[in-house]
Amino acid sequence: MSLLTTIENTRANLPLFKQARLVELWCAEPVFFASRELSDAYYTEGVLGNYALAYALGWVRSPYRLSGTATWRPTYLEDLGGLSDCYVLPAWPKQGKVTFRWERFNALSDSYWYAMTNNRVATSREDLPVQREGKKPNSFRPSNFPQSGRLRTIARGNLFQTLVFGNRELPDYIRVGKFMSKVRVEVISELKQVALSEGMYQSSAYLNTADLPAELQMLSFDLISIPPAPLVKNLRFQGAAWQFGEIIVPVGICFCGGGIK
Amino acid sequence: MSIETLTQFLAPTYENFPKGRTIGMVVLRKTQSELILRTEGSGEPMCSEFVQAGFQHKNSLQRLVMTKRKQVAPERRFGREQLRGFELLYPNKDGAVCSLNTNAPCEMCIDCFLYGFAAGGGGAQKSRVWTEDAFSLLPTSETVAERTINAIFETGTMRDENGKASTALNTSEYIKPGVHFLDVVTLKDMTADEMRYVLGNILMTPRYGAVSSRIGRMENQILGIFGGITELPSSLELVQSLYDALIEANTPLEHPFDTDLLVEMTKGAIATWTNRRGISRQLTEEQLTDVIADVDRHWDGERETFLKRLDRSYETFRKPPAKASSSRKGKKNAEPVTPEG
Ligand SMILES: [Zn+2]
Repeated sequence: MSLLTTIENTRANLPLFKQARLVELWCAEPVFFASRELSDAYYTEGVLGNYALAYALGWVRSPYRLSGTATWRPTYLEDLGGLSDCYVLPAWPKQGKVTFRWERFNALSDSYWYAMTNNRVATSREDLPVQREGKKPNSFRPSNFPQSGRLRTIARGNLFQTLVFGNRELPDYIRVGKFMSKVRVEVISELKQVALSEGMYQSSAYLNTADLPAELQMLSFDLISIPPAPLVKNLRFQGAAWQFGEIIVPVGICFCGGGIK
Repeated sequence: MSIETLTQFLAPTYENFPKGRTIGMVVLRKTQSELILRTEGSGEPMCSEFVQAGFQHKNSLQRLVMTKRKQVAPERRFGREQLRGFELLYPNKDGAVCSLNTNAPCEMCIDCFLYGFAAGGGGAQKSRVWTEDAFSLLPTSETVAERTINAIFETGTMRDENGKASTALNTSEYIKPGVHFLDVVTLKDMTADEMRYVLGNILMTPRYGAVSSRIGRMENQILGIFGGITELPSSLELVQSLYDALIEANTPLEHPFDTDLLVEMTKGAIATWTNRRGISRQLTEEQLTDVIADVDRHWDGERETFLKRLDRSYETFRKPPAKASSSRKGKKNAEPVTPEG
């Protein structure tokens, strides 16, 4: 009888993680994500999102060639929703603070020849004779791509930490961000799950709002607004919890809240 | 056919899905003339960065940085010159020939398939050549020099006929000839011919950085090739381990640094890498020489056959670039153009 109730109360595809590893991520290169855009400046937030980490760890194989809608419509739900034997939290800065670095980008620096035209860097030298004839060459057409601006990147040498749930083997290095920056992965400790009964808890981890169980009572938190889903930190919540080392997370945390229902 | 030693880590044909076949290469880049690598606008004249000197020696050291962008752009350009020569660049959606740094690549040429692209109208290919920032072993105090440029008048003096002083007086920094950069390049799910193509680009690109006829010459040498399912340590970690070895051996950090000694030290440092998880094989000296000879052979006598064969290998994967979809048209792209090209 009691067994039956337990089964009924547990969602079918709810992952049960018995262990997790505390992992340190060292940025061998500056890391850039377009978290926010203000005019010509692109800001990376001081966090490594867990969806990006899941792809970087090789848990999902996304194709080399993207075509049609796939180039701008992400497929997180299809890709990650089905993963039930592994999970990773968004990575938080180990020292609590992140150092950033500003870089200027332009699409014209490396070309033999260029000209600024209609919000567009023309780089095709072959277009010069066409222009001399008074015609408008192809590369002079307006562009709706930003051609120059500033990037705030996470500086080289920053250290992040995260929890990796499940037993999957981890690579020593991963690539993250828009410029495929190299990041070293180091397992710091192996942690056993301690089940905590229903109660009020505070989590010191960064959590992805899309991955929290729908029924979770969130009492207070700080919001980090980044795509594709906002993250929370310093979350106080009411519910059952798991403890791994010093980190407490709500029971039932999983990619996209368990995927397609 | 010595590249076949790596068959296990190479793809039989281009495939759209990653399969974890990883080739790692350690590249030594040595300047042959003055070189100018400027940062893009961060205020510093030459690309350099304070980093931890070694693993054991944690003091900070200012090293020159050759960013991934400064490497890959001239290397792609070299390959594309060859493709253009054999008419292997395709027209883009506007009918213009494929070119870098535009949002209308052809999506069909060897360069597009290997180094990737992001088209404005939708459609993208991820690069399978993963570069990383390369570092100088020696600090900038040893590797950078300054030059004063003055424009003298026809009179041969700094004053014109009216006695006005020349204002064209300037000092500029440059990287000395004979400076070594260490670099790690990763090739993902690459076919043998694709690997030959990328290696050819690295070995034959003559100039980097700010371009002129006198400066930017650089010679690249491959010091190690590894096959496995994961990446090699980073170039920063490589120079850090060499720094520790240098201090250990009491070798002075002076320019010019003996290339033979550096090669020997680097080979010593990377010899242990196969012990790491996921890096399963390093080519022996002999196999490495064979692979380089194989690449040279393909780029020398057999270049046209080789490039056309590689070009044909994409035949079944080629799709002409799509026009921008109406739903997407006019919408501002939230992502900046990747300054990779
Ligand atoms: Zn192309």
